[in-house]
Amino acid sequence: MTTLLEARDLTRSFEVSQGMFKARRKLHAVNGISLDIRKGEVLGIVGESGCGKSTLARMLLGLLPPTEGGITLDGTDIRTLGRKGMARRVQPVFQDPYSSLNPRRTVASIVALPLEVHGIGTAAERRKQALEILDKVGLPQRFADRYPRELSGGQRQRVAIARALVMNPEVVVCDEPTSALDVSVQSQILNLLMDLRRELGLTYVFISHNLAVVEHIATRVAVMYLGRVVELAETETLFRTPRHPYTKALLASVLTPEPGQGIPETGLGLAFPDPLNPPPGCPFHPRCPARMPHCSTTVPRLLQLGRDAVACHLHDPGQSIPSTQ
Amino acid sequence: MSEAILEVGGLSVDIATPRGALHAVRDISFSVKSGETLCLVGESGCGKSMTSLAIMDLLPKAATRTARRLAFAGEDLGKASRKRVNTLRGDRMAMIFQEPMTALNPAYTIGNQLVEAYRQHRSASEAEARERAVYLLGKVGIASAAQRLGQYPHQLSGGLRQRVMIAMALMCGPDLLIADEPTTALDVTIQAQILRLLADLQRELGIAMVLITHDLGIVARIADRVAVMYAGQIVEEGPTASLFANPRHPYTQGLIDCIPVPGRTVPGGKLGVIPGVVPSLIGEIRGCSFRDRCSHARDICAATVPVKETEDGHQWRCILENAV
Repeated sequence: MTTLLEARDLTRSFEVSQGMFKARRKLHAVNGISLDIRKGEVLGIVGESGCGKSTLARMLLGLLPPTEGGITLDGTDIRTLGRKGMARRVQPVFQDPYSSLNPRRTVASIVALPLEVHGIGTAAERRKQALEILDKVGLPQRFADRYPRELSGGQRQRVAIARALVMNPEVVVCDEPTSALDVSVQSQILNLLMDLRRELGLTYVFISHNLAVVEHIATRVAVMYLGRVVELAETETLFRTPRHPYTKALLASVLTPEPGQGIPETGLGLAFPDPLNPPPGCPFHPRCPARMPHCSTTVPRLLQLGRDAVACHLHDPGQSIPSTQ
Repeated sequence: MSEAILEVGGLSVDIATPRGALHAVRDISFSVKSGETLCLVGESGCGKSMTSLAIMDLLPKAATRTARRLAFAGEDLGKASRKRVNTLRGDRMAMIFQEPMTALNPAYTIGNQLVEAYRQHRSASEAEARERAVYLLGKVGIASAAQRLGQYPHQLSGGLRQRVMIAMALMCGPDLLIADEPTTALDVTIQAQILRLLADLQRELGIAMVLITHDLGIVARIADRVAVMYAGQIVEEGPTASLFANPRHPYTQGLIDCIPVPGRTVPGGKLGVIPGVVPSLIGEIRGCSFRDRCSHARDICAATVPVKETEDGHQWRCILENAV
C-alpha cells in the first residue's frame, strides 16, 4: 500500500494562560507523532479527551500549522499545496452536525459551497453536482432546499458528509462523526461511510473514543496518550493481543451489551492525565499497573515490531536507561 | 421480597408548546425495590429524563405531571405538599446529573456544596457535616479528602467531579438514587470506574437506583431490570438477562442490532438500522408509536396495542410474541 499522508515528528504546543498574574505555560497537545496514512485504509485514532486526537486531525487537514515537524501528501509538503490545494484532496467531517452547518444556507448551497470557493462550474452545474452527491449519501432531492434546522441529527451529518465528498477528496478526516448521534442513527452513518469508502475508494482517518465503533470500521488503529502514539497496530492484532498497558485498560473498559459480566476493574487508579502537567518519563506511568522504576524517568521510544509499533518499556528491554544520579 | 421504594403508576408529562401539548411521557408505570437497579433506556427525546425530573418534582414550568400513583416508600408524592417534597428531596431521594460541571456551583468550594444539604436536612453542625463529607469523599475513592473540601469544581477533573456529585447525593443516606446519564460526559476508562463505584455503593448501602442511559452496554452490565422507552412509553420491561437474551419488542431488537460488538459483529459488515424517524408527540397519538418504522407492522397496529407478559415479569407492548 502506498503512503498518502505522512506526518513526521509532528509537534504542536499551545501557550495557555494560568490566570491573570501567572506566567503562560506551554501545553504540548501533540508531542512528536510520526504516522503514515496509506491509500485505502481506515486509520482509527483512539484515546481519552485531551490526548491530542483533535489537534492531530486539524494538522492533518492543514487547518493548524505544526510547531515542529511536517506533513507530506503524496510526497509534497502540504505547506506548498496551500489551503485550497489541500482542501481539494483532504476533507473533514466533524462531530457536531448542529454547529458545523451554516444555519442560513440551504442544504444544496451548503454542499455546493466548496465548488463555489474553488470556482468550479456554473451555478447550475454546481447544483447538479450537489444533488448527485446528496443522493449518494441518502438524501433525496426534496431535502435540497431545506435549511439545517429542518433536519434531524443524522440527516445533518449526511449533509456534512456530502459537503466533504463533493470535491472528490482522497482522504476524509472524520473527527468523532457519530458521537453526537443516537445509536440507531450512528449505525446508519457508519454503514454509509463504509459504502462510500468502497464505492469511491476513499481513505479515512477515523477519530473516536468509542472502541467498539473503531473496531468495526478501522483497518489499523493508533492509540494516543497525552500527545503521543503509544501503540499502533492492525485492528485485529490490537483488539486480540494489545501490547501497551493503556491499550489493555481501554479495551477492558468497553462495556459490551452482555449481561452478567459486571463492570470491569480497569486497575487505573485515580490519577488522570493532565496535559498541562505531564509526568516525567512515560506519560502513562502514574496510572500504569505494570510500572517499573525507570518508567518515571525515561520516555519509552516507539519501538517498531514488524508492521506494528508500541512505546512501552515492557516491550523494549533493549532501550538504554540512563543511570539516575 | 423487599418493599418497593418507588412506585410509579400511569405517569404522564405534558409540555405546553405553541403547537399544542407535547406528550413527553405517556402513561408509564414501574417500581423499584431497595437494593435494586432499574435502567431506563432509550434514545434522545424518548422521555427518559422527563421521567426522572417528574419523580423528583423538578420539571420545568411548562410541563405538567399527572399520575395515578407516585409513591415513595409508601407515601403518596402526588398529594404531598411542596414543603414535604422539599424535605424528602436531597434527603431520602437524591439525584446525580449528567454534566458535573454544570450541576456543581463554580463559585463555592466543594466542601460548602457537600455540607449544605446535610446541614439543611439534619440540622447538623458544620463540623459534623464536614466529617461526613470527608468520610464520603474517601468512600468514593478521593484521596486526601480533607484538603479537597477547600477546592473549587474547576480544580478537579471530570471524573473527580462526578465522584463529588456521587458523594453529595449520598450525604444524607438516601433510599432512592436517580442517576441521569451519570457517565455520558466521561472517558471510557473513567466511565467504567464510576459505574463500578456506583454499583458497589448501591449494593453496600442497599439503595434503590434508577439509572437513565442511552447506552445498552451500561444497561447490560449494571441493571437488574430494564425498561426500554420509545416515544414517551415503556415499550418493553423485564429482567436484564431475559430482555437481552430474548428481546420481545421490535424496537428493543432493533437497538441491540445497531451497536457494533467486538467479537460478535463482523468488522466492516453491515450494522442493523432502524429506518425512519421518531413520530411527533404533539397532539393525539393512537396505536403503536413504532409502527411506521417496524417491519412487522400490520393494520391492527393502528389500534390500541396489547401489553403482554411472561411469568418472570417480562412485559412488552406489541401484537407479536417475539421480535424475531
